[in-house]
Amino acid sequence: MTQQKPKIAFFDFASCEGCQLTVIDSLQTNLELLNAVEIVNFREAMSEKGQDYQIAFIEGSCSRKSDEARLQAIREQADIVVALGACAHLGGVNAVRNRQPLEDVRTYVYGNKADWYETYPARPISQVITVDATIPGCPIDRDEFIASVKMLLQGRIPKLPETPLCVECKLLENQCVYTMGKVCLGPIVRAGCKAICPSFGDGCEGCRGLVSEPNMESLKQVMAEHGMADQDISHKLDLFLTYQMMNLENEEPK
Amino acid sequence: MGFRVMPKSAFPGWVEQMLQTYRVVGPRKIRDRYMFDEVNSPGDLDLTYSTTVLPPKKVLLPQHEELLSFDLESGKMEAAIDTQPTVLLGVHTCDLHAIRLLDAVFEDGYADQHYIARRQNVLLVSLECLSPCTEKSFCKSMGTLSVTEGYDLHLTDLGDSYAIDIGSERGQALLELTENAQPATDADYSRLNQTLSDKWPRFPYRLESDITELANLLAVSYDSDLWEELGEKCLGCGSCTIVCPTCYCFNVIDEVDFSLNAGSRIRQWDGCTLSQFAVVAGGHNFRSTNQERQRHRFFRKGKYQMEAYGLVGCVGCGRCAEACLVDINPVDTFNELSRRRIPMTRRHKEVLP
Ligand code: SF4
Ligand code: SF4
Ligand code: SF4
Ligand code: SF4
Ligand code: SF4
Repeated sequence: MTQQKPKIAFFDFASCEGCQLTVIDSLQTNLELLNAVEIVNFREAMSEKGQDYQIAFIEGSCSRKSDEARLQAIREQADIVVALGACAHLGGVNAVRNRQPLEDVRTYVYGNKADWYETYPARPISQVITVDATIPGCPIDRDEFIASVKMLLQGRIPKLPETPLCVECKLLENQCVYTMGKVCLGPIVRAGCKAICPSFGDGCEGCRGLVSEPNMESLKQVMAEHGMADQDISHKLDLFLTYQMMNLENEEPK
Repeated sequence: MGFRVMPKSAFPGWVEQMLQTYRVVGPRKIRDRYMFDEVNSPGDLDLTYSTTVLPPKKVLLPQHEELLSFDLESGKMEAAIDTQPTVLLGVHTCDLHAIRLLDAVFEDGYADQHYIARRQNVLLVSLECLSPCTEKSFCKSMGTLSVTEGYDLHLTDLGDSYAIDIGSERGQALLELTENAQPATDADYSRLNQTLSDKWPRFPYRLESDITELANLLAVSYDSDLWEELGEKCLGCGSCTIVCPTCYCFNVIDEVDFSLNAGSRIRQWDGCTLSQFAVVAGGHNFRSTNQERQRHRFFRKGKYQMEAYGLVGCVGCGRCAEACLVDINPVDTFNELSRRRIPMTRRHKEVLP
């Protein structure tokens, strides 16, 4: 059976490119992937650029007007668009600014050069273009990346895991961090990272996003009972989840 | 078959002998918690353990288990059957009762060859509990604080020795690996009886009704307001069903290699408290709320299993109670239902003119 290898491309928007580094990392242990696909655009790993690709992996949030045209151009070219990592999926840490007045944020970051830089509230790329699949996480999990690519090659669309992190954490027989006086967003966050933070004794910060039916009120109550002030709870939920939280609260970015 | 007594000083040597022929799995302390894990030397074992995060069920039904491997190119398909001879050591009696339920479930109807192959090659060495493992346990109420069958060997700690009850010929053969297990003397018997009679008062009864009442209690509580209250609190985190020794629901997925033609079929644990558990083809979720899922869970624990297999569906191990961040647990739930029970007289009045 001879078949043309699908061409894949990577693009980055507002992000740290850590997810693309994880891709490179995952290639090292999965060299067969390079036989299965042809990478035509990958700034992190190569200099030549091809513009005919079928699968586009996009890292980063949409954080300024000019991003929109670039996203749309990718969408037009690609058969399949995959959001890669928390920034593309959720707006990521970039969306923390959405709760603050934009002018203040610009001045804080760029000082007296604020006017030189265009910016607006950070958004998941799905708010600008149709996204076919998402690989969540900050950074992404390399095994999940490989599994997702295999599914795409099979013509299937990988779905976001619906199980909460607690399931994965318990399967690994971790001691719950709540019993160590820490708090954790595990009950409302999607599994798939091998519960890496609780496995190292830290609470989950929510980088993989909310499950589709999070019981926010009950978890806030649990965190409060574990000694967290309301404001600290909000901060905890706003590290990776600002965009989702503002949506749940029907809040508009300032 | 009668009791044997083995001095504790001989125990490590016996385990050494087992390790020559068997994989030995038992309670180990790893950082701050205990877990059932393979032991490499007798010193790895800690039979003074309280409870474990996951029950020993994971030895018979691993969290992530290959069921078969396939290669579509060659058309080859092969079932993965694990027959490794294993000694599962230090199983508390609640967990032994749970394994009896799993046996009944997996042998029923279309027997599960993977489970059965493992089960046939696992020797169960159980251990009598002499004080409650945690404050959340309620084994005494569920009738699981002792066992009379289902084990190959059963150990009771007599201080400087173990009393060992032989439950099967396989157990007898395992015990013959040591020369230090002697038939119990009259003095041993009286020590054993004393130990056992001393232990019972240490355990509280926590269930306010009798277990034989539970099925009926649940039957009249289907429309209780309590389900809504539990549904509001429940985080849907799934921890309670994952840690439960009598839960056995699973999901099956295929994992392929880069040829996309070959791979493995994998079984992994699932649980009815998870939001997507009851989603069927077409996307319909026939238990779409936490409230319905909690009700279903407790009906399994208190009614359905008893009716299907004549065995308790909850063995009172308290693991779910330890795991739940919002304090939902079987004993409080059953007690609350019992308090709220709609008196039959009132129900009758509703139907009778
Ligand atoms: S540590 Fe976090 S993820 Fe793990 S069980 Fe506790 S709450 Fe859930
Ligand atoms: S445990 Fe939470 S914060 Fe940590 S990687 Fe997983 S989802 Fe992200
Ligand atoms: S452990 Fe508690 S919160 Fe989590 S699903 Fe079970 S009942 Fe709900
Ligand atoms: S329902 Fe809870 S207490 Fe009962 S057997 Fe399961 S984990 Fe143990
Ligand atoms: S629940 Fe009872 S039988 Fe089970 S480990 Fe605890 S004390 Fe032992």
